[in-house]
Amino acid sequence: MIETYAIRRPEAQESPIARQIREDLGIDVARCLECGKCTGGCSYAAGFDYTPRKIIQLVKLGEFDKLLSLDALWTCLSCQLCVDRCPSGINIPRIMDYLRARAHRANSNITHKNIEKFYEIMLSDIKNRGRISETIMMIKYNLAIKNLFANASFGKKLFLKGKLKFFSPRTHNIKTIQPLFRRLSEKDGQA
Amino acid sequence: MSKADTAALIIGGGIAGLETALKLGQGGYTVILAEKESALGGNVAKLHSSFPRWEDPQELIKVKQAELKTLPSVRVLANTEITGLQRQSGGFTAHWTDRATQKSGSLPVQALIFATGFELFNASVYGEYGYGIYKNVVNSLEFEHLLGMYEQRAIHVPESIAFFKCVGSRDRSKGFPYCSKICCMYTAKQAGLVKKISPDTQCYVFYMDYRASGKEYEEFVRQVIEERKVRYVRGRPSKVVLENDKLLVRFEDTLIGVPMEASVDLIVLASAVVPRPETLALARMLGLKTDDYGFVEPVYGSPVRIEERIFMAGGCGFAIESLGAIAQGAAAAAEVTALFNKSE
Ligand SMILES: Cc1cc2nc3c(=O)[nH]c(=O)nc-3n(C[C@H](O)[C@H](O)[C@H](O)COP(=O)(O)OP(=O)(O)OC[C@H]3O[C@@H](n4cnc5c(N)ncnc54)[C@H](O)[C@@H]3O)c2cc1C
Ligand code: SF4
Ligand code: SF4
Ligand code: SF4
Repeated sequence: MIETYAIRRPEAQESPIARQIREDLGIDVARCLECGKCTGGCSYAAGFDYTPRKIIQLVKLGEFDKLLSLDALWTCLSCQLCVDRCPSGINIPRIMDYLRARAHRANSNITHKNIEKFYEIMLSDIKNRGRISETIMMIKYNLAIKNLFANASFGKKLFLKGKLKFFSPRTHNIKTIQPLFRRLSEKDGQA
Repeated sequence: MSKADTAALIIGGGIAGLETALKLGQGGYTVILAEKESALGGNVAKLHSSFPRWEDPQELIKVKQAELKTLPSVRVLANTEITGLQRQSGGFTAHWTDRATQKSGSLPVQALIFATGFELFNASVYGEYGYGIYKNVVNSLEFEHLLGMYEQRAIHVPESIAFFKCVGSRDRSKGFPYCSKICCMYTAKQAGLVKKISPDTQCYVFYMDYRASGKEYEEFVRQVIEERKVRYVRGRPSKVVLENDKLLVRFEDTLIGVPMEASVDLIVLASAVVPRPETLALARMLGLKTDDYGFVEPVYGSPVRIEERIFMAGGCGFAIESLGAIAQGAAAAAEVTALFNKSE
């Protein structure tokens, strides 16, 4: 990854985004030892624009705009390996979730619009039906990204192995799911 | 009271306890030196070469031990573990067990010196490093034994070795937050010694930073990097996977900022220095102050005085290099001398 090195002037005190992450998530990036164990073990660092350690560093530097436009926000697998390895227990995927939500709300320059779409569709499915119907989701997703045959051969394989059902019923107890979403959107409103 | 009526018990015959025994013995004081192993010297007797001048630690132990033999007021009890301590007026009752014969008994003493040393953290806590699973992942003390065999050409030196620093140290999630102080230096020594015995062996040292704040320490590490050609890689290894007969180390080179891997034959873990649980048990019997981890603690203002008539020296207080342990051993002897002269 080729970077330009415009000279920056970092603040000496805790950056605003570092403070928000500490207050909203209870994660203090000041604990980072800059050791790189997160990046060394990350399942997908080779496909990231900024690796996990560097993301923590961007938080420390207060590079908010950069953070919201990170490619890695959308390609992180949320596999939790980095959390398990981190000597300071810093929950990087939780920070990624947080930044992803903020990027979505801020309508910032998201590099993976289709992954954002995927999240949207998946969450609305859960909200309305309590669970996901993979087939319906795939169709909705392909419509949304305007590519009807995206992942078609993969879908066929899954179907033949019995992993994809045409129809999956709504959750019986949909009433327990909806308040959850209500609470979340209220919280969202505050943030 | 004469010198023969007061006796000091030194618990542990490592380099610290040896030094206390020597200094008190040279002053004519009655000393009992109890060591649970069959030989004196503790960890230092297992080392091959020392930082920062490539000195011979085993020779050092030999010299000290020979001197000790000339001192009539020093009684050395090998195979003798101190298992219990009670305060009595003007002193203590110490309970001992002979580990060879299983006999046990007790003795009265007027001063106590804890010189019980330290042990290494059990690195199998880190599933990702494979200690206790892969036979070619060893801790630093086990590696000292291998170094001895390399020196004698009893076994082949591997083609490539990776040294991991801060294993269990500087880790609040699986280990301890503290820095173990000595491992940066002994890792440099171990890697440098490998290169002396076998210049073609590839040596990687993985580090977050190297701590070399003693006299000639910085120069020593630079010598290992620049002259002995040990490759220092800045990054904490994240995972070890078995790949045929080799071990693949995954890490980030944090200077360039990209994930990388290295294939090696052997991995040496610089495991954290931790207190021995037996030391903590003895300290509790006397109600002594320890820190959060179980290291015994001297009072502020003295490097070695814990409480009235109770002193410490060496690694039971915290990680320390051998010269520091010797200095504390001598300081403990000075404290006991002052105490015994006051009581006389
Ligand atoms: C891998 C490694 C490499 C090192 N390399 C160097 C180096 O190059 N240079 C250097 O200066 N330092 C080095 N050190 C540090 C050095 O080993 C220590 O400074 C030294 O061992 C401290 O001595 P000690 O007497 O305090 O403790 P120890 O060496 O641990 O000795 C304590 C003794 O007390 C005995 N004991 C414990 N409990 C009891 C009991 N209840 N009853 C009777 N006996 C008991 C133990 O059996 C042991 O013999 C190295 C350490 C390690 C782990
Ligand atoms: S959770 Fe994301 S950042 Fe962490 S190891 Fe997995 S892919 Fe990498
Ligand atoms: S593993 Fe943890 S401490 Fe190390 S660089 Fe990553 S976030 Fe920082
Ligand atoms: S002395 Fe060096 S290797 Fe040991 S814990 Fe401290 S920094 Fe890590």
